[in-house]
Amino acid sequence: MNSLSPEAALSRISPELRPLLCTVVRNGRVGLDSSGCLRITDLKTGCTSLMPGPCCDRFKLHIPYAGETLKWDIIFNASDPELPPDFIFGEDADFLPEPSELPHLVSWDAGKPECLLQLVKELLQQYHQYQCQRLRDSSRLLFEYDSLLDDPNYGRSMEIYAGRKNTWTGEFSARFLLKLPVDFSNIPIYLLKDTALDPGEDVALLSVSFEDAEATQVFPKLYLSPSIEHALGGSSALHIPAFPGGGCLIDYVPQVCQLLTNKVQYVIQGYHKRREYIAAFLSHFGMGVVEYDAVGFTKLTLLLMWKDFCFLVHVDLPLYFPRDQPTLTFQSIYHFTSSGQLYSQVQKSYPYSPRWDGNEMAKRAKAYFKSFIPQFQEGAFANGKL
Amino acid sequence: MAASISGYTFSSVCYHSANSNSDHEGFLLGEVRQEETLSISDSHIGSSEFLSVIEVHNHEPCAQLFSFYDYAGNVNEENLNRILKDRRKNVIGWYRFRRNTQQQMSFREQVIHKQLTNILGIPDLVFLLFSFISTANSSTHALEYVLFRPNRKYNQKISLSIPNLGNTSQQEYKVSSVPNTSKNYASVIKEHGTDFFDKDGVMKDIRAIFQVYSALQERVQAVCGEVDQSERVREKIQEEVNKLKEEIALRKHNSAEEERRLQEATAVTLPDNSALPDNSALPDSSHSSLTRVVLSGPSVEPSLERAENSSSPPIYSTTLPPDSPSAILLPRPQAVGSPGHPSPSVGLGNGDGSSSDSLNRQATGQEDEDNSDEDSSEYENLVSEQLQPPSLSEAVTLGRPATVWPDGDAHSPPGS
Repeated sequence: MNSLSPEAALSRISPELRPLLCTVVRNGRVGLDSSGCLRITDLKTGCTSLMPGPCCDRFKLHIPYAGETLKWDIIFNASDPELPPDFIFGEDADFLPEPSELPHLVSWDAGKPECLLQLVKELLQQYHQYQCQRLRDSSRLLFEYDSLLDDPNYGRSMEIYAGRKNTWTGEFSARFLLKLPVDFSNIPIYLLKDTALDPGEDVALLSVSFEDAEATQVFPKLYLSPSIEHALGGSSALHIPAFPGGGCLIDYVPQVCQLLTNKVQYVIQGYHKRREYIAAFLSHFGMGVVEYDAVGFTKLTLLLMWKDFCFLVHVDLPLYFPRDQPTLTFQSIYHFTSSGQLYSQVQKSYPYSPRWDGNEMAKRAKAYFKSFIPQFQEGAFANGKL
Repeated sequence: MAASISGYTFSSVCYHSANSNSDHEGFLLGEVRQEETLSISDSHIGSSEFLSVIEVHNHEPCAQLFSFYDYAGNVNEENLNRILKDRRKNVIGWYRFRRNTQQQMSFREQVIHKQLTNILGIPDLVFLLFSFISTANSSTHALEYVLFRPNRKYNQKISLSIPNLGNTSQQEYKVSSVPNTSKNYASVIKEHGTDFFDKDGVMKDIRAIFQVYSALQERVQAVCGEVDQSERVREKIQEEVNKLKEEIALRKHNSAEEERRLQEATAVTLPDNSALPDNSALPDSSHSSLTRVVLSGPSVEPSLERAENSSSPPIYSTTLPPDSPSAILLPRPQAVGSPGHPSPSVGLGNGDGSSSDSLNRQATGQEDEDNSDEDSSEYENLVSEQLQPPSLSEAVTLGRPATVWPDGDAHSPPGS
């Protein structure tokens, strides 16, 4: 009952209400965290049990907000589908938005499918205001909030969740979810298209949890959309510095932002650098190039000859090239290993410097090949069989 | 705060709600009473508690949703008046019924409630929420109801009691104070009421019983009078008896004196000691017979003289107060020595506690012994008076030679 797929949920909803919910379930992204979309559970009906067919008209809507999931009850009436719904805001019994600030409620039009989604967005805005109000219980956190609000970079895309105040200890906790203004648009497309699901907007979110009102226990966490995470090299990209004790967000957040930007820059540069590298190798080795990755420029295979000895060289360019050195794999075309593979040798350390440009790297690589090949040949004859 | 709803109103609301194919709402009509409970205990003088009691008498269902408010939850006063008509002043709250939802006030309900509080001018408007929960296969349904007081910060939920919904074989069947506004009922009562009520609206049976009571009272009063009379007669007789007794005693005393003188006269010539012991013995025997006579006296009517059994005659000279028959006719069970005992001891004793206490103690049935004690004490006085003359006469005879000692031994006179 609880983990229904969106389609299954929609099929149980009363037909008149279905268009409204379609928009919510299929396209509904509210808030900063667009990876978690809106979910509907606990479908119930307000009609008598004599009513046939799909007639569910009340459900729980799960809304991701500031790292939490809000569970709001939405109550329609299937026998009066043109009427606007009612809401129960879960545990937030104090939250009471002003109806006049919900234009989509005042002029509710059941004929417009996006009406419900818009109303939910407006309610979320009010909820955000309500949470910011709750920050007033702690002057420290209020200061954090105000200082961020003033900064145009972060002020407009912030979600605050002021947690429950523990009435015993008076402990107060809050979570700030900020959208980091990092430009991901120049990341090469090939890095982004590897993810299976629809990535949506590429976004980086910084979540900072304050476990107490004096900000002595602060836990930051970085969330990246899956494609960005992949593009930046997996989960290692999520390492961020710890929150400095006694520091404040207005200093820390730009720091993290800069770090992320640098990484992105690095990746972008890496792409270009790799392209340059491959281009240089192409021009140097010309006909010797067997194949290369023309999209990501991560691989290159050369077929070279030295004193009638032909061999292959596979060049693997890492993600953080040129910081990281490319891996050279020499492969003999004559000899096999005992396992039936072509005899090969991997070379990871050879004369290299990240400061060389593509041409220089190609020249040096050529020189290296010349120096290394006799060794390889010997090894191939010694260890491999024809 | 307590709240109650009559069984028929509750079932009527449920009926309207359960039959609607959507959410349902309406208004609750009734009254709010303030009850003051005064409790007295030994530890403190008294404390009074104020309890607000909400009683729901009736309900006014709304035909459809959004009938008195718009999409934004703004209440339209005109529509409200149209629904309530002239029952607006009886409104104490409103209710809502929704299926399969949580027992919590929703957003719109809170908005409407605030407005209704202001428009109707009821500071403690209540909200009754019905939720109807059904299991998935419709095998079990539960109707839950909660009464909210949203205008308060704390204790927002109060329990709603339905009188007589329960095991009435063990509890008393409670009658509620709901006024009956049914026209049919009023007309039937008017038609058949004369069989039970008289022209003043009082039940006929009550009057009949009251007449019986009055007749009994009259009889008792008459008996009082008779008792009074008989007591007076008895008093007189008692006086005569006492006089006669005194005369007897006096005569006996005189005759005893006479005899003694005679004996003395003869004793001078013939010493004889045997007379004295007989003399001393004589008053004792007469004593005991007299005490025996006294004992039989007061035991005649102990039930009516609880308070007035002291044998001294003056008691019966006071008249019985006729207008307080309860003090005498309806004996109230009283503890021994309790201060609340009405002791009409008018004219008796010094008015201090001691005498009335002794009176009370006598009241509980020790009268026979006390009477005998007092009577015997009177006669003891007489005995001591009788004993005294012999010692006097003894003193007189001391100077003579050959004295007669009281113990009857003959002694030789000293010095001879």
